[in-house]
Amino acid sequence: MSTPSDNAFDVQLRSEIDRSLRHPVMFFFTSGAAWLAVAILLGIISSAKVHAPGFLDSCPWMTYGRVSAAHQTALVYGWGCQAAFGMIIWLMSRLSRQTCRNVGTILMAGHVWNFALSLGVIGILAGGGTGMPWMEMPSFAWIPLLLAYVAITIWSMVQFKVRPEGHTYISQWYLMAALIWFPWFFGSAHLLVHGFSGSPLGAAGVNAWFHSAMLLLFFAPVGIGMAYYLVPKVMGRPVYNYALSLIGFWSLAIIVPWAGMQKLTGAPVPNFLPYLGAFAAILFAVPAAVAGINLLKTAAADMETVNHSPTLRFTVWGLVFLLAFGFASLVLNSPGITQVTQFTIAGYGFDILGVYGFFSFIAFGAIYFIVPRITRREWLSRRLIKWHFFVSIYAVMAIVVVTLFGALMQGIAQEGTYDGLWYNAASTVFPYAVLTTIAWCFLLISNFFFFIHLTLMWLRLGRRSSHPTLLVHHEPESPHGPEGDIDNTGTASAH
Amino acid sequence: MQDPNKPDLDETLNVTESHDRMLREAAAVSREKHVDEGGREPVSLWIFASCGLILIFAGLALGNIGSLGSLFDYDQTVKPGYVRLDLSEDGAKGPPPAEALAVYMKKGQKMYSSKCQGCHGGDGKGGAAAPSLVGSEWALGDTQRFAMIILNGLAGPTSTGQTFAGGMPTQKVGMAPVDLAGVMTYVRNSFGNETGDVITEEMAEHAFKLAEERSDPNAQSTKEELESKYLAPLEGEPMDPSTKIDPVTLEPVEDAAG
Repeated sequence: MSTPSDNAFDVQLRSEIDRSLRHPVMFFFTSGAAWLAVAILLGIISSAKVHAPGFLDSCPWMTYGRVSAAHQTALVYGWGCQAAFGMIIWLMSRLSRQTCRNVGTILMAGHVWNFALSLGVIGILAGGGTGMPWMEMPSFAWIPLLLAYVAITIWSMVQFKVRPEGHTYISQWYLMAALIWFPWFFGSAHLLVHGFSGSPLGAAGVNAWFHSAMLLLFFAPVGIGMAYYLVPKVMGRPVYNYALSLIGFWSLAIIVPWAGMQKLTGAPVPNFLPYLGAFAAILFAVPAAVAGINLLKTAAADMETVNHSPTLRFTVWGLVFLLAFGFASLVLNSPGITQVTQFTIAGYGFDILGVYGFFSFIAFGAIYFIVPRITRREWLSRRLIKWHFFVSIYAVMAIVVVTLFGALMQGIAQEGTYDGLWYNAASTVFPYAVLTTIAWCFLLISNFFFFIHLTLMWLRLGRRSSHPTLLVHHEPESPHGPEGDIDNTGTASAH
Repeated sequence: MQDPNKPDLDETLNVTESHDRMLREAAAVSREKHVDEGGREPVSLWIFASCGLILIFAGLALGNIGSLGSLFDYDQTVKPGYVRLDLSEDGAKGPPPAEALAVYMKKGQKMYSSKCQGCHGGDGKGGAAAPSLVGSEWALGDTQRFAMIILNGLAGPTSTGQTFAGGMPTQKVGMAPVDLAGVMTYVRNSFGNETGDVITEEMAEHAFKLAEERSDPNAQSTKEELESKYLAPLEGEPMDPSTKIDPVTLEPVEDAAG
């Protein structure tokens, strides 16, 4: 074990790393949270239009096709990617034990990302969308986004390269994989679609693959990598089984790049592509299950810690959603069921389960862990955290259950009782659309709590205390009452 | 005197206090635990079992179309009877011949779903905007009368005496004789109707001629006009519904090999 002086040096190094990263990481988290708010507002509008077509119908900028596309773009690139950037640069610095020396470049690139994304979303709302899910932004946006990505994350790769010799953490495998995969699929997909005037069918195929890669080759490894850090870190326990993590990582790396083309089942593409896509998408359940079970087994040993720590609560639920995500991938892509759900709202439900259920919950967990360290303030209120947690979890579950079940009903209506009038089949979605809108409204409320809290932390208005904000009614260690001790200079500041 | 090699320490600095402050500033960091990923707990069997189940499932999905060899086989996913156009110049054989009734029905079904289904419904039973075609006297009776309704539309009462607001608009625009032939054949042999006859392209051409010869070709037909002038079948050589014809040219095919 390390000597006390080693430990003091280590604490100092870690706190210097945190210090060096506070501006870029806070920038990504706060602007990500702001985009999340935008995404949710657009989500409410687009969902409301499904059951109330007259809503805002006089404004061409607010037509369903545009709002829905802008909603998903804001969610994926505004919130998802930026939360991922914050997590990647922080975690990679920590695990490679390097302070960040390129804060200015990263911040600049972060602004470029936000600027290009804003123009892209405005372009979508103005009617310039490409019509390809998750690649909706007009063709001008992808090059600045890719360049900004490189300028943000290349330093993490450099840090990994110059890390002290020795152990490479599981989280680092996942992060490095995501760092390499993102420019690969983002660049090649956009180049193939925008750079060459190929057949529209080819573009649809590339788009289907890109969509799946974004979910399974970027959000999945970043989320899983972050969870592999947070769970053992906060628990102070070793991960259940190291060999399982190896299996999980390599199965993800080998299988998942093949997924995506199952979207084109029945389209005139070479026959083996949809089958191979479905095969790989079903097999995604293996890395999802292995990572999820490995970490949940670790967490299950001490449920009290899980309950008390905001970080762990979110992360553990993110992992539960990961299991559900893998299971949904298995079910939705089995040929018999694809036939029913292919042209329904199931795809949207699956995306939300991945981006909001699994990835965002782990991102929230990470934010609750990282922000106190880089701002050197503790979270202000456990009530805000609790409200954020409970409202989000019920709302996300509602969206996922309602869309997936609704999709099944819609698919059955389309296939079975189809009486020649598409209207009848489509209108089976009505009740589910209403429920989805309500759930998005609740998500808006939950994010109101989160956003306020994060903004206060960003303004350095957090609690100055040596006691963490835990989700318990009273903190037995604190001699100064439930909110910890305000500005106490010493003795209680235990390790 | 101060030693120039030593840091510039203020003697009044309370080391304990500043240490405490540093600890408090970095409190979150200093209370962290170390990450240990090297767990060696025995993996429960059910984890491997469930992964195995997933593998079996994925294998079934892959093998759903028979064997691995058929992954590259178009015949497995293409509908039976679907024929790809031969685009090579010398091999331009066209699609194989089929029974006349089936060919006309197919053309008519397309026409019906684009022009008629909106009011008469996918099942032909009509609704608030249009009467039912099932067992309709005018649809199944004299073909001249039926053709005139489609081509000119209808004002006023229908065969059952019922009146629909606005009547039926003309469907002539953009319709070729072959389309009329198809849709008439389709209506007369669908939704439970079974006249069993084929309205040929030749008959449909006669219908177009009749429609042009009307005193006002643009007016909608009325019950009175229909029952006075058009109580006759369309002229043209009747065709046996089982005759093999070419689906493109609609000419009977001599060679019965297909």
